[in-house]
Amino acid sequence: MKIRREHITILLSGVLIYVVNIAFKSVLKKQEEISVIVSAHKKIVEAGNPIVLDFKVNKEIATELLLHTSYGSTTIQPDIAGETRFTIPRFIANKKGTVSYTLFYEKGNLYQGELQIRSNTKTKVCLESYIGPPSIIAGGIDYAMQVVVPTDSYDNPLPDSTNVTIGHQFLDIEKKKELRSKDMIAWQNIFSYNSSGRILLFSKVKETISKEFSIDVFPSLPENFQIQSKRKHSYADGNQITQFITSIIKDKHGNIISDGSLVKFVIKNTKGLLLHTQANTVNGQAIAKMLHPDHEDAWQVKAYIHGMAESNSIRIEYSKVLEDFDTQFKKGNRYVTVGPLVSFMGQLIPDGAMVILKIFKENKKIDTKVETSSNGIARFFLQEGFYASGKYDVTIKALGVEKQYNNIELE
Amino acid sequence: MIRWNKYIYTGLLISSFIGVIVLLLFGISQAFSFLNTGADRSSMLHVALHKEQVYFPKLDWIDTINPGRPIEKQTQQDIEQDYLNAWYVRNVAYQSNKMDGIGDYYTKSSRKNIANTILSNKEKNIEIHGTTTNHNIALDFYSADGQLAILSDTNVKEYQRVYREDTFLAETRLQSNYQVLLLLEDGFWRVRHMVKKGNYDQDTSMPSNGLAKVIKDKIYIEDKEYTIKGINYYPQKTPWDMFGDNFDIDIIAKDFDIITEAGLNTIRIFVPYVVFGKAKVIPEKLQRLQEVLDKAEDKNLKVIVTLFDFYGDYSVLDWTLTHRHAEQIVTPLANHKAILSWDIKNEPNLDFNSRGKESVLAWLKEMIYQIRNFDPNHLITIGWSDMGSADLLQEDVDMVSFHYYLDIDEFAQKYKDVSAKISKPLVLQEFGLSSSRGLWSPFGASEKGQANYYEQFQKMIKEENINYLSWTLYDFEEVPTAVVGKLPWRKHKQKHFGFIDSKGNKKPAFEFIK
Repeated sequence: MKIRREHITILLSGVLIYVVNIAFKSVLKKQEEISVIVSAHKKIVEAGNPIVLDFKVNKEIATELLLHTSYGSTTIQPDIAGETRFTIPRFIANKKGTVSYTLFYEKGNLYQGELQIRSNTKTKVCLESYIGPPSIIAGGIDYAMQVVVPTDSYDNPLPDSTNVTIGHQFLDIEKKKELRSKDMIAWQNIFSYNSSGRILLFSKVKETISKEFSIDVFPSLPENFQIQSKRKHSYADGNQITQFITSIIKDKHGNIISDGSLVKFVIKNTKGLLLHTQANTVNGQAIAKMLHPDHEDAWQVKAYIHGMAESNSIRIEYSKVLEDFDTQFKKGNRYVTVGPLVSFMGQLIPDGAMVILKIFKENKKIDTKVETSSNGIARFFLQEGFYASGKYDVTIKALGVEKQYNNIELE
Repeated sequence: MIRWNKYIYTGLLISSFIGVIVLLLFGISQAFSFLNTGADRSSMLHVALHKEQVYFPKLDWIDTINPGRPIEKQTQQDIEQDYLNAWYVRNVAYQSNKMDGIGDYYTKSSRKNIANTILSNKEKNIEIHGTTTNHNIALDFYSADGQLAILSDTNVKEYQRVYREDTFLAETRLQSNYQVLLLLEDGFWRVRHMVKKGNYDQDTSMPSNGLAKVIKDKIYIEDKEYTIKGINYYPQKTPWDMFGDNFDIDIIAKDFDIITEAGLNTIRIFVPYVVFGKAKVIPEKLQRLQEVLDKAEDKNLKVIVTLFDFYGDYSVLDWTLTHRHAEQIVTPLANHKAILSWDIKNEPNLDFNSRGKESVLAWLKEMIYQIRNFDPNHLITIGWSDMGSADLLQEDVDMVSFHYYLDIDEFAQKYKDVSAKISKPLVLQEFGLSSSRGLWSPFGASEKGQANYYEQFQKMIKEENINYLSWTLYDFEEVPTAVVGKLPWRKHKQKHFGFIDSKGNKKPAFEFIK
């Protein structure tokens, strides 16, 4: 009996201890759970203002704060070790964007939250402008784009719907327009006018005015044009120079085309051969030059600006510079002297005029010899080794005049 | 004596003269060669930069409709590449606390912001290992001269892990939206402004087609309860090199016949990460994997495909490469009927010591998420090497797999303990005994011993109705060094785990394969 009671007591006390233990454990477990409350702070802050996050944690633990921002992440320690008050560093508080923060301690994350940093509209506005392309073509089809990125003094883009004034000046036109920014920027296309010149641009946000920017408006494509020729005389002396001159070339809006536009002149002679010369325009005019032909000829001249414009076609004729010349056969007719070649005014033809001698034997061409004149004379020597003694026919051609000598006896 | 001195002086004078001349010439030539290097014009314009792509987050273009001007395909690609590079160099910078490469992808005024943060992190000895896994880009604006672009990047999935002096502090996963203004400078699209615009928490996952599913601790395939009776499989001639040059689908087909005739219904195969081409999966290898799976379907076998075999980096910067690897393998097979489950990685817990537990677990967790996105139809598991790791990530996987090579007598108790902890299907994914008695292993099990082992094990399996896959079908003649190391006795042991010996004869254990 006695023993039994003791047993029951022991058993009961055992159960009691067990129950108390369980109760304690569950209470202890609850205490293990850490609750975190963030004390009231502004969810939206303007850049540059100090930000302090104060957490209330029901247990004393060492916490840190992980900050995730537009440009990267960092962790910060509480202002006073052991407390849970955090001051967001300047370089984060100055930058626009959402800041996600995570309060954590050695065993894991405790609290996640976020706050917005907005651009600070109270600071001085900075403007960045991007304008391109820097040159456009007159006529109102081509355009350049002006993009303005307004920022606050911490280099944060201002919020959407910021008022931006964009304006430009051209000749006596001055225009201004109010725009509202979107996606960080305000932008406008500036179309060219009919005249060429320079458009000056500016933009303005609040009190800040941008630098002056410019776009060059170049003349549009050239229209067809006229050419004329200019020469000292019309003789084919192979010496003087003929100039080909274009009219002042303009685009369809009457702008003189840009200096340096290449004009190509194509000359077709009576044989159908094509000669080329070219020149760049200066003040809309191109002047190309060509040496006179050395024989009677007629040229058909036309000029082109490739792929854009062409000129009318003109015809120029060159007349013979000499009517006749002398030929002397000496020393057994083997030395042939042609000349003196005399031009239309009695002067010797300048050195270098081409004289061609062709030798025939029994109507078959044996050889062509070419010499240039010197002091008005061209000399040929028909060597014995090449031309055996006998009768030959000889034709001589100089400056478009051809003479024939038959039955020349070479000794 | 004087004469000798004279000779010495003369000698010294001449040799010092020669020395000075040599130095002078060397100096001039060095200066000359210095002036001649790096003067390549193409390098000045950055047009022919040889960049190997090392960052592959999933990037989708939502649209390119913008009020500025239509974008050219080439520019779109350039912007995409440079924008990703900007993220990559930034991730590297925060990991190393150095500004290398930042100058190429951030303009002068925006790189200050990164420099400030890095300076602060450096002072505090903090390293941040981070990556982004998803970008969804819409073009907000592209300027007429093609020099300025504004992008909205929504639902950017970011993962970050913070260390102080190599001690892990914390990790976060965030989904954020960004707006970015880029300028074309020196041939680079550089970030001028970057604004984080709130967090994004809408996430849609693809619905499963219900091919395989798990209800409580049971596996169901096409709504029928399924118990895995399986084996880990390598062809006899090409262990650990199943998809190599000696790939022969006919041999594999015959092996499948042996397996089905033995009464098994599942095999487990391995897809090596490097062999399959890392971030750029080799189509030929994928084709072979497909052939194997088609053959398995023909023979009515289900397959557990173990990915990332022999992978061991896990570093945060490597994540996106592994994601692209998984995407290219898993996406085309998402509807394949032969697949039972994707096994993310074989025995990743063995890398805890060398790579850091938090690194490995974070990589696994993210990979599960990625694969579920590519393929919601099949199950996902991780092949833990021991029962102790089984409860890791159990919320994330569909079934919990572990390997058991310890004392057979302790198995029953341990299995009971584990199943009490875990409410998902348990799979004994590898077990077995090597009949390795011989010169290298005088106390190893004999073939008879192996048979006894399997007999005993199968008894327990039937009692508890355990999902199992034994290791392995064949004895192998060669075991690559990468598997168990160079030591001959370890290699020897690994060669004799089979039910069929290297001559093709069934060992006594074959009787207890099921």
